[in-house]
Amino acid sequence: MAKTIITFLLAGFVTFSASAFAQQQTKPAEHDQHDHSGHDMSQDSSGTATDHDHDHHHDHDLSAEHPIDHSDHTMSPQSAEHGDGHHHHHMDHDHIMDHEGTMIMGQNLDKLPSSCKSISQEVEITVRAGRKYAAKFPGTAFAFDQQQWQVKPCSKVTFHFVNEDNIRHQFMMHGLPKYLYKYGMFHLEVTGPKTVSGTIIVPGSDDTFLVHCDISHHMEKGMKAQLVVGKGGENIPSIPGVTPYNINDTYEAENLPKVSDKAEQNAMVRQITTFTNNNLQNYGMMLIGVLIGLLCIPLFKKILFRKKSD
Amino acid sequence: MPIHLFIAILTFYLMLFGAGAQASLKLPETVKVDPAALTTEPMCDPKISPAWREAQEIEGVKIEASPGCSPDNPAWIAAAVKGTNHISMETLMKTGLSPDAIIKTDDLDGDGDPDRIIIKLEIMELNGKSPDFPGVIPTFDIAPGIQPGAWVFAPKTSGMSTENFESVRANPLLRLPSPVIRVEVGDIVQIVLENTHYFPHSIHLHGVDHPFSHKDHGGNDGVPQTSERELMPGERRIYEFQARQPGTMFYHCHVQTHTHLAMGLAGMIVVEENKPNNWLQTLNIGAGHVRHPSVAVKEQFDQEYDLHYHAMDKELVEIIQKYNDPRLIARDMNQRYDATDATEDYYTLNGLSFPYTLRESLIVVEPDQKIKLRLLNSGGELIAIHTHGHHATITHYDGVEHNPVAQIMRDVFDMAPAQRLDLRLETVNDGKHSYGEGDWLIHDHREKGITTNGMAEGGSMSSIVYTSYLNGSGLPKVSHFGIDLNEFFTKEYYERRYPIWQDLDETASLGSPAGQMGVNAATQTSLLNALYGLLIGLLIYLVSAKREQIKQSAAAAVSRLKSPKGSNQ
Repeated sequence: MAKTIITFLLAGFVTFSASAFAQQQTKPAEHDQHDHSGHDMSQDSSGTATDHDHDHHHDHDLSAEHPIDHSDHTMSPQSAEHGDGHHHHHMDHDHIMDHEGTMIMGQNLDKLPSSCKSISQEVEITVRAGRKYAAKFPGTAFAFDQQQWQVKPCSKVTFHFVNEDNIRHQFMMHGLPKYLYKYGMFHLEVTGPKTVSGTIIVPGSDDTFLVHCDISHHMEKGMKAQLVVGKGGENIPSIPGVTPYNINDTYEAENLPKVSDKAEQNAMVRQITTFTNNNLQNYGMMLIGVLIGLLCIPLFKKILFRKKSD
Repeated sequence: MPIHLFIAILTFYLMLFGAGAQASLKLPETVKVDPAALTTEPMCDPKISPAWREAQEIEGVKIEASPGCSPDNPAWIAAAVKGTNHISMETLMKTGLSPDAIIKTDDLDGDGDPDRIIIKLEIMELNGKSPDFPGVIPTFDIAPGIQPGAWVFAPKTSGMSTENFESVRANPLLRLPSPVIRVEVGDIVQIVLENTHYFPHSIHLHGVDHPFSHKDHGGNDGVPQTSERELMPGERRIYEFQARQPGTMFYHCHVQTHTHLAMGLAGMIVVEENKPNNWLQTLNIGAGHVRHPSVAVKEQFDQEYDLHYHAMDKELVEIIQKYNDPRLIARDMNQRYDATDATEDYYTLNGLSFPYTLRESLIVVEPDQKIKLRLLNSGGELIAIHTHGHHATITHYDGVEHNPVAQIMRDVFDMAPAQRLDLRLETVNDGKHSYGEGDWLIHDHREKGITTNGMAEGGSMSSIVYTSYLNGSGLPKVSHFGIDLNEFFTKEYYERRYPIWQDLDETASLGSPAGQMGVNAATQTSLLNALYGLLIGLLIYLVSAKREQIKQSAAAAVSRLKSPKGSNQ
């Protein structure tokens, strides 16, 4: 008995850990499959990282070096709206923005966190954002395609943020070391459908970082995730499918119309309309009963008399 | 032992009785609220730089002085006039606008101003529920501590919805009311709605000359029952028009209008006359003073103000603070909320209620000026705006000029829901146009219009104030009358916890009475009754416990009584 229980437990544990392992594995696999054709900024940015001194550049001509790809917005059917020809470019140490508001803030290509001796790995993560990813989480409106990403401490991570909606979305990360990231933030922002990429180097200690879209009520309504570095730190609440809400709504069953209601209603209508027929039937049956009874009286009499005579 | 107890209770009872009689001789003392116990806000928002009040020129855009204490950010005005595509990155960064928020191109009629205007609007929620903490986000106070849930059309912004990561206060671009839009007759205008909200929405251009359906963009009237499907979250739609007539008009969401309009998805849209070099302030964020008026307005007037009156029902706006799940919000708003049972609780002028109206919705005037006032009522009921000390002339109804010889002067302006009035206010001291300089109230004369959730002073009340009655921080000068407005800038006032008349005299004769000393009359009686019971109980106990003793003593007494008798015998 005990043996069988243990075997079942073991089997359960094995399948559970296998699925968890599989989940972790899908992420690097997806990075490999990531299609760079639309936006080859990752190469650009790595190029920038090698031949670019970030400590003193104030030049505003970014067309050659900054990693936002302008070529792909001609794909957008609304491109006529942007027919201004004026391109804004803004860049200081940590803020890049183009004429459509595509933004990279707090990017870090080469500054090692103090807790790291060297970069442990270079990872590329594609993050998709849009309304359609909220479909699998009832009660949300917007979501990322994944709610959790895992990287090793000291990883250099390039995020390709693919906004699939026709509105603005953000990939905003909080809690990063402030000596490297202004306000401890790394922030990608883009009006879709379009992609923006940015790179950070994560700290050397295990930690979990909040990732969200800060447009009013996008995070509250589902666009929330976490980046787990190493074994991770404390979980962040109310991430769809990952962590529970701190404050929950109360739900009650509602009196919604159902097809079966309709069937019941029909049955009732039939009963009412066939009332008279039914009555006839009933009376008929009663009549038959009476007749049978009358016919049976002599029979009963006979039986009774026989018994008496016996 | 029980006898001691009996005596103790008896004594206590007598004392209590005595105290009760004493208390009824004197009523409770007045308790005065110490001003230090109130969360007093500065009357003028310290986050707004006084330098913004000055007349200035940014990016070649002349911006008029605006002496009120919370004027518009001048960078907003420069961006609205030039378009976000024609200003420096430095100015743009001061606005918080997205670089594609206002795109102005193509001088089609060759008169020196751009005629192709693209305005991008997003839909933002204010004071909505969070699943993470008890409280609302992003916060927008219409009065101290008053945070009704709201939705607004907001100019397309860049970055966060709050001031910063530590703050829950909304980015200043996200506010009530939805911004005033200004375009010119003949402009090819595209209003691009990017639905960043979790509900479907639309834009209906009430009063603006627009085609029912547009050849490229389809349905153009914003009505889900006639011209188009609801614009779902994450989607974008273009509303395009080329207006042939000028006037003060109205735009609002036409999805579930009975709730969406009241939630704040309503704004003023002004079509200005086509004039040469007419660079318009395309957006007047927060409405109020127009610091870069159109050519036509400047020809006839010294100043221009946009006054947007709105009203909200507490029961409606609380729905988005009750639930986080959009399905529950939809259920309560669409199926359970009964608009016919609704009563309006919050009355706002340019998105704010008194006393915040004093910060940014004062009509600041000089003697002998002509001022253009554009009024919109986006509330659900008729309003009656009264101008103290002035009669103004109604020049336009619903954007259409009234026959100039038939134009009339009034001091109460009744406005049906969705109605617009253009007024000419003349500060000529002749006993009719104006009675002279002062800090003259302008308010909705339905008396509930000066309340916030039914409590005065609040609502959409503001002032027509002459500069001679304005103090250094841009607020009406009232201290020389012995008036202190500080009490209104506390949330305790609107929590109904402040006895508003306590400071009218030295003795605080109309202050708050302290609670009853000790116990109140009802509990006193029941306590006494309980004591009676206790006493009776003890008495019975004593009698039964000392039955023998009593018998004996009684017998002894009887015998004693008898014995003298006997001895006598």
